[in-house]
Amino acid sequence: MDFALDEMQTMIKDSVARWAEKEYDFETRRKLAVGNGFSEEHWRTFAEMGWLGAGLSEEDGGLGGGAEESAILAEEFGKVLLLEPYLPVAVLATQCLLGTGHAGARELVQAIAAGETRVVLAHEEVKAMGVLSHVSTSAGSDGSINGVKTLVIGAPFASKLIVSARTSGEARDQSGIALYLVAIDAPGVERKDYRLADGTRASEISFRGAKGELIAADGFAALDRGYAHALVNLAAEGVGAMERAMWITRDYIKTRKQFGRTLNEFQVLQHRMADMLTELEMTRSALYRALGQLDTDPAKRRLNLAALKVQLGKSARFVGAQAIQLHGGIGVTEEYSIGHYFKRLTFIDSVYGSGAQHLKILAKAIQAGN
Amino acid sequence: MKLQIDPKYDAFREEVRAWLKEALPADMAARTLQCYHTTIEDRRAWSKILAAKGWAGPAWPKQYGGPGWDEWQVMIFEEECYLAGTPMVDEAGFKLCAPVIWTFGTDEQKQRWLPPLLAGDQYWGQGFSEPNAGSDLASLSTRAVRDGDEYVINGTKIWTTDVHYADLIFCLVKTDPEAKQRGISFVIVDAKAPGVTIRPIIDIGEGHSLNEVFLDNVRIPADWLIGEENKGWGYGKLLLDNERAYSAEIPRNKRTLARLKKLAHETGMIEDEGFALRVAEAEADLSALEFMTLRAMAEKAGGTNFPVGSILKIRGSELLQKLGGLQVEALGPYGAVVYPHGATNDMPPGPAIGHGVLADFMYRRAVTIYGGSNEIQRTIIAKSYLEL
Repeated sequence: MDFALDEMQTMIKDSVARWAEKEYDFETRRKLAVGNGFSEEHWRTFAEMGWLGAGLSEEDGGLGGGAEESAILAEEFGKVLLLEPYLPVAVLATQCLLGTGHAGARELVQAIAAGETRVVLAHEEVKAMGVLSHVSTSAGSDGSINGVKTLVIGAPFASKLIVSARTSGEARDQSGIALYLVAIDAPGVERKDYRLADGTRASEISFRGAKGELIAADGFAALDRGYAHALVNLAAEGVGAMERAMWITRDYIKTRKQFGRTLNEFQVLQHRMADMLTELEMTRSALYRALGQLDTDPAKRRLNLAALKVQLGKSARFVGAQAIQLHGGIGVTEEYSIGHYFKRLTFIDSVYGSGAQHLKILAKAIQAGN
Repeated sequence: MKLQIDPKYDAFREEVRAWLKEALPADMAARTLQCYHTTIEDRRAWSKILAAKGWAGPAWPKQYGGPGWDEWQVMIFEEECYLAGTPMVDEAGFKLCAPVIWTFGTDEQKQRWLPPLLAGDQYWGQGFSEPNAGSDLASLSTRAVRDGDEYVINGTKIWTTDVHYADLIFCLVKTDPEAKQRGISFVIVDAKAPGVTIRPIIDIGEGHSLNEVFLDNVRIPADWLIGEENKGWGYGKLLLDNERAYSAEIPRNKRTLARLKKLAHETGMIEDEGFALRVAEAEADLSALEFMTLRAMAEKAGGTNFPVGSILKIRGSELLQKLGGLQVEALGPYGAVVYPHGATNDMPPGPAIGHGVLADFMYRRAVTIYGGSNEIQRTIIAKSYLEL
């Protein structure tokens, strides 16, 4: 095991950091957030730099990296609170497509990595409550899809959807879930777009007899793989966001004066910041653990990921909240950066199954004798 | 960055586990898993078994009789020992004193003290803290004054774990009272020498592991001072730095979690969803801490100022206390009953597996205090890394 970055990993990290510093300062991002939340120019850059394929092998159109490389990139994106749907497209949808083993899906992955098309996964449903196998959207024997998908992050900027739909069984069975590729403007697809707390965009999508191309007859394993990769990348983003929020706060309390002293001289605030670093590093450790065991058997992986999401949610909420608290009043203003870190960190806990929902997965395993 | 775990460590774990299954007497394991302080008889017997196998000093370099394991193997070995229920061995001697002796001692000193320690023939106690030097250790006032070929030592040491079983005590003493950290030396004291008085301190778990040691004109040969005079503070610091990757006490935490689950399944408390959620939270904490320990081992080589030892200390000790509290809760009403050390009859009532839970829970209030209190650790993080 080696925790130090190798040459290619250092190159990825540095190139994203350089780009972010030049093109993604807080004011630029803020304008984008209140605009449409997406820049075609940024996306072209991501493709040209190879970032959309950072976690892909060369035959899949990537840089020859793996989950570690993708996570390094996500961490840097997290530091600047990236709005563009890198994670939903280049990680969640891409890994899900690879998980199907379908030849057409594999070609699509190359097109995504090249920036030629954007695909997102339409899987979440209102009643899922963090249960990955929950699918009540149905697909008939003729392949027509009926149902409603919610919180499809990045859908306003996508041209295609991967839709999970049930062909047999009960709403939470792992078997009987098929995956279809559906064009975003296909007949029978209706999309309503909205804004999330952190400025990213998502859609509510209803399917009324929409037709798609079948890419997996039994697609749960592909979904599981997609979400496993998405979760570690989300954690990496969270680590990046927490780290940046911590340093912004550190710099602030070294300059802000009250009672004739700068705030960093108060021991209670020193200790609070020590706790912020500690929380952040707990998540980083859980992330490394999950990354190293991403290819183990799915049952073991699920528990590792659950532990990661529990830690991530706890850390994100604590660091986000304390970052505002230590700033005082300015922390709750829209024009200052730290509140936006809080928004993203809050969102990170709730997405892809909340920390609380993942804690239940762990507790049930313990009750079963694990 | 490559984060996959080398399968050779799984094989090593299996090897250790298989050996422990054969070598560790069942009654000894049962006693240890009750988590009272280890008796001297069990400690002696187990030390001899380890010595015969050649595994007494897991972290020792090969040239001094160690098995030549890397740090992670050492931790795996300790984890398996804890889970199996091996008695505590002479931690102070093996982990704290021996590295100072082999790093800074003369060949004669190494010969004099390392082999008997490894063989389980001599036991050590640690004399660092004093009644007026706890977290502020550098303000210690025990004096050593040179007198011909000897030093004469006067002062009081406190919290000296298991010194009532010890043959030797390693102490930090003042050799230059004018200087603060720079006037401290590292000396060895014969625990049975005239002028050494040991007073037991009973902890709130009603156990006896702690002591106060009075040193009244105690004489030691001049060559019982390790390294150079007035350099002892640096030696002590180096030794603590070496140990920092182990600060989260992963082996002890793993055993405590395993015991908690066993208890909660036996008493039925695990059926309670709220309780199970809290156990799950503790387990998530432990799995992150375990990986942070691996990071600490790797970053040690990198020589950064990242305060991983302090982070591990804070979270590992807090977790240990949390797990202890959950064990007490898992016993339901019997969590409040006192089971005296060695109790074997069926009075007081309650499940036999509960013996020792309360005593251990009480004693472990100390973990957030010793080794640099958690408040000191937070200040270290804030000052050294966050530059506040």
